[in-house]
Amino acid sequence: MRLNSLTRRGLLAASAALAGTSSAHAEAARLRLYWWGATDRAERTNKTSALYMQQHPDIAIVGETVGWGDYWTRLATQAAGRNLPDLIQMDYGYIYEYARRKALLPLDGFVGKQLDLSGFTPSSIEGGKVDGKIYGISLGLNSTSLVYDREAFAKFGIGPLEWPVTWAEFARRAAAFTKAANKPGYFASSDAGGSGPALDVWLAERGKLMFTADGKFGGDAADMSEWFSYWQDMRVAGGCVPPDAQALDKADIDSSMLTLGKAAVAWANSNQLVGYQALNKAKLDLAMYPAGAPGTKSGQYLKPSQLMSLASTTKSPDEAAKLLSFFVADVEAGKILSVERGIPGSKAVRTAIDPNLDPLGKRMSSYIAEISDRVRDLPPPPPKGAGEVLAMLLRTNETVGFKRATTADAAKSFVREVGEILARA
Amino acid sequence: MMRPAAGHWFLLPWFLGFFGLTLGPALASLVLSFTAYDLIEPPRWVGVANYVRIVTADSKLAESVRITLLYVVLSVPFKLGFALAVAMVLNRGIAGLSVYRALFYLPSLLGASVAVAVLWRQVFSGDGLLHQALLLVGIHSPSFVSDPDYAIYTLVALSVWQFGSPMIIFLAGLRQIPRDVYEAASLDGARRFQQFWRITLPLLTPVLFFNLVVQTIDAFKAFTPAFIISGGTGGPINSTLFYTLYLYQEAFGYFRMGYAAALAWLLVLAIAAVTATAFLTARRWVHYEA
Repeated sequence: MRLNSLTRRGLLAASAALAGTSSAHAEAARLRLYWWGATDRAERTNKTSALYMQQHPDIAIVGETVGWGDYWTRLATQAAGRNLPDLIQMDYGYIYEYARRKALLPLDGFVGKQLDLSGFTPSSIEGGKVDGKIYGISLGLNSTSLVYDREAFAKFGIGPLEWPVTWAEFARRAAAFTKAANKPGYFASSDAGGSGPALDVWLAERGKLMFTADGKFGGDAADMSEWFSYWQDMRVAGGCVPPDAQALDKADIDSSMLTLGKAAVAWANSNQLVGYQALNKAKLDLAMYPAGAPGTKSGQYLKPSQLMSLASTTKSPDEAAKLLSFFVADVEAGKILSVERGIPGSKAVRTAIDPNLDPLGKRMSSYIAEISDRVRDLPPPPPKGAGEVLAMLLRTNETVGFKRATTADAAKSFVREVGEILARA
Repeated sequence: MMRPAAGHWFLLPWFLGFFGLTLGPALASLVLSFTAYDLIEPPRWVGVANYVRIVTADSKLAESVRITLLYVVLSVPFKLGFALAVAMVLNRGIAGLSVYRALFYLPSLLGASVAVAVLWRQVFSGDGLLHQALLLVGIHSPSFVSDPDYAIYTLVALSVWQFGSPMIIFLAGLRQIPRDVYEAASLDGARRFQQFWRITLPLLTPVLFFNLVVQTIDAFKAFTPAFIISGGTGGPINSTLFYTLYLYQEAFGYFRMGYAAALAWLLVLAIAAVTATAFLTARRWVHYEA
């Protein structure tokens, strides 16, 4: 963990708090801000905090950051110790659990007062609602996206992946790509048969929800059998990497098949373009996940890449809400934070930063703009146990890849285990 | 002369640590094992439900037990055998002995570290060192760490490679065996192997026993290598899902602290049972006369 006490004031406040003394000088609040992410994000976040403290000398902000891997463990431990940070960077997959367990503060009462959401469209606020109340504000909009080596695709005459490329078409092109590249250990795509977001999009394009509003799995054994078969056919045709390569992927950018030079397509999120490009020499571009039947909507949707929530235990709810407002709606803060967390929800911020975006930022912005009327509405929240289902999907896809199970058997055991997991959670 | 009370004061930090950091949390975890606890909401008493689930309804657990036993049964004998072999070579009194001793001990010092597991992952992965080396002799090997047929054996190999600490103990044991016993045996015409089988091994059994118990307990508790090499998943297809890793996933992946606490106590009981069995059988094969 890194503690970023930014100013001497901050340090003083921290040491005063450590010493257990109430601070002698006029300090309205000391706020703890907690987020996950890489160095670039930490720098932007700290700069934004520093700017706020400059404008509000009576506020001290102490930043805490860890990587995604340890983030939720640490947060849960802090929740157990009744020691949650005041401002918490939240994920769409976790906000329901934390909100329903009353660890987060409902924000509706602050809107229009401490919290300025005037530049937000209703749909961009929707993603932070749980049971009708606002528990988190979007820090940036993103969507799922293929991140791929566009030039390699062009070189082999397989064309850029322009919407709509159907699933069947994607498989055909992937196999052709690998054949044309003719390089041992190099394939068109990573194996996304174990990827929750990919399955989610695929199911939606068949008119089904991965998780229904009442917290059930929306597909059936026939769907899953077809899904596992799709990827098994990909492996056989050489369209995606073999299973022992895919198993090296630890669900982060560093160990992805694209970054390791084993594949030209990664199944990712649009705001990760920056992260992927930083580790890849080839010029990367974004493309939508494959499409369903002609004329149907994409199974993708726009979602908050991250949200910012307040802890229900915060001692300074008003001050915390003001700082939250600064992060999501202030133009100057927006210029520092830019699109690193996704496209800002506030129109005023978007307008202010658009002219100065670098090419990657521009591409993320244009991607979100061009997919906006192709995508579906935000699906219902993932139920408790969704994380465990995703881990199980990964494992089941491996049993097919390593030929431990037929696609039909894998599908049956997947559906059975989903039922067990969701019933227990 | 120091008053006895002073001694107690010096012991105080240890007592504080023992009661506050070891015994206290251990007892707390025993209580938690009878609850459902997700860290955020207060623990909810569920009686023996966690234990019932462990013995009746957890197929993933059964798999992790199988993997762990396989790991213990393979890694401990190979590691001890290897350690003894190296100790016997070093015991011949070669030049630069202390240097070799230090070098061979090094992997054990690094043993628990994350860096070694990361290195191991590199050596045994798809285009890792081993793969390249095998290519030189014309063998096209799979990616050992990420193939469910081989992943567990890379972990066994990692464990065997960290043979330093039992080796040092064996070496000390070998030094204790009086030279004249061997001389007498040679005069009577005993060959090398007979000397090893009839003299070295029996006289070494107390040390062997100690190493066996310590290494077995260690093997049951192994966590870091599987965690690093599988990226925390225990994959591919649960092939490296050590019991401890499963426990960790239940606790910190899915926040079922009560269930994880029950798993932890079961591990304690299992290790206690195995150790007790070792002590009970020890009478038959450990020779303490010297």
